[in-house]
Amino acid sequence: MSSVPANLKGSPAVASRRVMLPWGRWGLRLTAFLYLGFMVALPLATIIRNGFADGFTAFWADITNPTAFSALKLTLMTSVLITVINAVMGTLTAYVLVRFHFPAKGLFNALIDMPFAIPTLVTGVMLVALYGPQRAVGGWLNAHDIKVIFATPGIVLALLVITYPFVIRAVQPVLMEIEKGQEEAAYTIGASKWTTFRKVVLPTITPALLTGGLLCFARALGEFGSVVVVAGNIPGVTLTAPVYVFGQIESQNQRGASAMSILLLALSFTLILTVEWMQNRNGKSNVSS
Amino acid sequence: MTGLAESKNGTGREATSNVREPSGYRGKLFEWLLIAIAVAYAAGLLLAPLVAIIVGAFGEGLRAAVKEISSTDAISSLKLTLVMAVGATAVNTVFGVCIAWVLVRDNFWGRRILNGLVDMPFAVSPVIAGFMLILLFGRGGWLTPITDALGVKVVFALPGILLATIFISLPFVIREVAPVLAQVSADQEDAARTIGANRLLTFWHVTLPAIRWGLLYGVSLTFARAVGEIGAVLVVSGGVSRLTETSTLYIFRSLDDRNYVGANAMAVFLAALSFGILMVIEYFKRRTEQTQTT
Amino acid sequence: MRIRTSHLTAKWGLISIFVLAFAVFHQGCTGGQESGAGKVTLILGAYTTPREAYGKALIPAFQAYWKQKTGQEVEFQESYQASGAQSRAIIGGFEADIAALSLEGDIDKISEAGLITHDWKSAPNRGMVSTSIVVIAVRSGNPRNIKDWSDIAQPGLDVLTPDPKTSGGAQWNINAVYGAALRGFAGVPKDDKAAAQEFLKSVLRNVSKMDRGARESITTFEKGVGDVAITYENEVLVARQAGQQYDYVVPRSTILIENPVALIDKNVDKHGVREAAEEFMKFLFTAEAQQGYAKYGLRPVVPTDVSAEALAQFPKVEDLWQVDYLGGWKKVSSEIYGPQGVFSKISEELQKSR
Repeated sequence: MSSVPANLKGSPAVASRRVMLPWGRWGLRLTAFLYLGFMVALPLATIIRNGFADGFTAFWADITNPTAFSALKLTLMTSVLITVINAVMGTLTAYVLVRFHFPAKGLFNALIDMPFAIPTLVTGVMLVALYGPQRAVGGWLNAHDIKVIFATPGIVLALLVITYPFVIRAVQPVLMEIEKGQEEAAYTIGASKWTTFRKVVLPTITPALLTGGLLCFARALGEFGSVVVVAGNIPGVTLTAPVYVFGQIESQNQRGASAMSILLLALSFTLILTVEWMQNRNGKSNVSS
Repeated sequence: MTGLAESKNGTGREATSNVREPSGYRGKLFEWLLIAIAVAYAAGLLLAPLVAIIVGAFGEGLRAAVKEISSTDAISSLKLTLVMAVGATAVNTVFGVCIAWVLVRDNFWGRRILNGLVDMPFAVSPVIAGFMLILLFGRGGWLTPITDALGVKVVFALPGILLATIFISLPFVIREVAPVLAQVSADQEDAARTIGANRLLTFWHVTLPAIRWGLLYGVSLTFARAVGEIGAVLVVSGGVSRLTETSTLYIFRSLDDRNYVGANAMAVFLAALSFGILMVIEYFKRRTEQTQTT
Repeated sequence: MRIRTSHLTAKWGLISIFVLAFAVFHQGCTGGQESGAGKVTLILGAYTTPREAYGKALIPAFQAYWKQKTGQEVEFQESYQASGAQSRAIIGGFEADIAALSLEGDIDKISEAGLITHDWKSAPNRGMVSTSIVVIAVRSGNPRNIKDWSDIAQPGLDVLTPDPKTSGGAQWNINAVYGAALRGFAGVPKDDKAAAQEFLKSVLRNVSKMDRGARESITTFEKGVGDVAITYENEVLVARQAGQQYDYVVPRSTILIENPVALIDKNVDKHGVREAAEEFMKFLFTAEAQQGYAKYGLRPVVPTDVSAEALAQFPKVEDLWQVDYLGGWKKVSSEIYGPQGVFSKISEELQKSR
């Protein structure tokens, strides 16, 4: 800690009672409220007002019309799918990172956070560059009539890339804390690896797994940058909810866009609050990315 | 049971951090299989596409790629992206620390609301963020009369892009600083106060050094997020090249211009930039974790 | 790391942040719109397709002309995106001085929003500045042997066409298919609305990707997606100039695409560039400009304005008709693209069956 400089102003008693604007307690609170009020609350209010401008019936019609509904369904289905895949592969990857040694493990560990840093649009461009019909991999797939890009698998791939780190980073610290002794104890009484995993490891990591999974899901719900490049815009097949919202904005159906936005918002927000509640129960204080 | 035998009647040392499987050779094979699966999955999912754009960027030679990335449009878009990212990061850092302070140190009725508001940008799809700005500042927007009176153009101009970037990168500093701040004992701050330091000095000399790794971690995450934004700026900027076209919008447009070398070159550049920021992020993250465990 | 700074540094840090923010906002107010003595700036909001025509031919030609005439530099800021999206942007606050869009209806929307206060259709050629036709782009050598509209309704064919919600080109495409069917050129009975709609449905069933704009759609085709793409003729011609190798089939019956241009009074007066903008508008209807359009694959509005050799690149169409056949844009907007319209109904039916 650096030392406090000697040129203090005034006597201790006076200094501690001195209120320095804008650093006073109320100054800080006001700043916080004004900033968040302007940057978050105001935009939120405006979109809610816009979505419900013509009443709840109109709002409901906006989100249940066939195109909107199929976009919502597709978004939910793909998000659930990638959450499940991430749960399995993420746990496996975390386990491998924590329990085993192999060359370049440190590098691998650092690269896991890559999707946090890379622009989502670049992810989309990368996937098209790899799986587009004129590319090496894409050409092979095309020849065998397997559609990836501009079909639902493409969306799933994009979402998998974007959400790759969530489960891994959630489960890793918990795995690290599991006493090696517990696992070894299971072996000494003859339990197989799988039973050990099921009965010792899994219960311990389940809360973290759930947290990571929920974050995955919430993140996937709103994904736009990669999906818009990789998806085909066909309702029911390759039109996700965020891309649908974009289309509505573009065709000046502001109320429809607002309605779907509110729904997506509410869903994601509930998920994030759930995650925070779970983490609070487990002793952590905040959602960190 | 070779592993266990070793740890039982060996030198009495603890088993290594590797958990030894019950059966030696088969266990090792299984271990390597799991590692192979994890690495193959990561390689196929992350590395292969990365290689694909590198091939796409340099497919016509290094010179062609460099020519594209150094074109006026590309450079302007990079300048704009960086200015926006730095601006948004600066604003979010200053206000973020303030908000983190209020959330952690201040116990009052409005805290829950503030906490919820901070989480909002995570829950909002970027296109929705841009859309909200259009509703606020576009034709017929709530705040448009004010900005018109001031003569400031917000949507389809730079302020709109800045606001969008600030919004989507808002929570990172707060969420990384708050837990670290919570660990800084209020005692130290009180001690400083009792010897006469005012609030600002206390903050600068006592609090800030304690939270610096968390802060830097949050700052780097904010910056990375700001650089990579596409959804919100797609809605809110006019895409006018050299003026309101960010690097991500430049990629978008290059795909339309059939300039695939340009699009891939910029994508590679942004990926490399992200990689650099990632290394910085990892460094700060590690320092944060170190201070948290001590 | 010892911080031996006083709180002055904090103050300077904050000041510099605010200076930065101010600089950015200042840029936002005045950036790029300096209409000082030496320079005039015109903002063009166009659709995706004539990107090359404006960027490489018309704007440089006009800049030379203006410099010669007035000695002043005119700088252009161009934005190209799907016609509907561009219209939306201009209405939403994008301060384009001149709108060059794909559909009359998109310009009408801007007019209805109060941004255009003169009768833009009173300009030469009803405000239309270029034309094209709807064609079917096919792979090199036409491997699927596509000859006419009836061939693209065959099951198993992968068809590309953009999204009519955002793309003007998409609406031209759908009008062409529907109209050709009604006129008896698609293998279904003439003037049979139900049959024509069924035909349109079978074509749309084959669509695998609906891009935002005409340009995006054709570049998707070039990336190897789809067997055929319904598109503007000039998109294919421009693509050929860019080195792409594929063919296109001109159907026996197709629609004449007419693209409007309009001056946006509100923005022009706000920026104080009316004189230059009006000159640019006049310029677009001159023979020189028409030649420029033709160079980049757009058919002229007045054929005699363009040299014979430029005209030679445009094949003749057996049955060329205009949107009036379908009742004009107002009727089409509600009858085909409205909430109860033909396209919306077909869209819903297709979704249910997917």
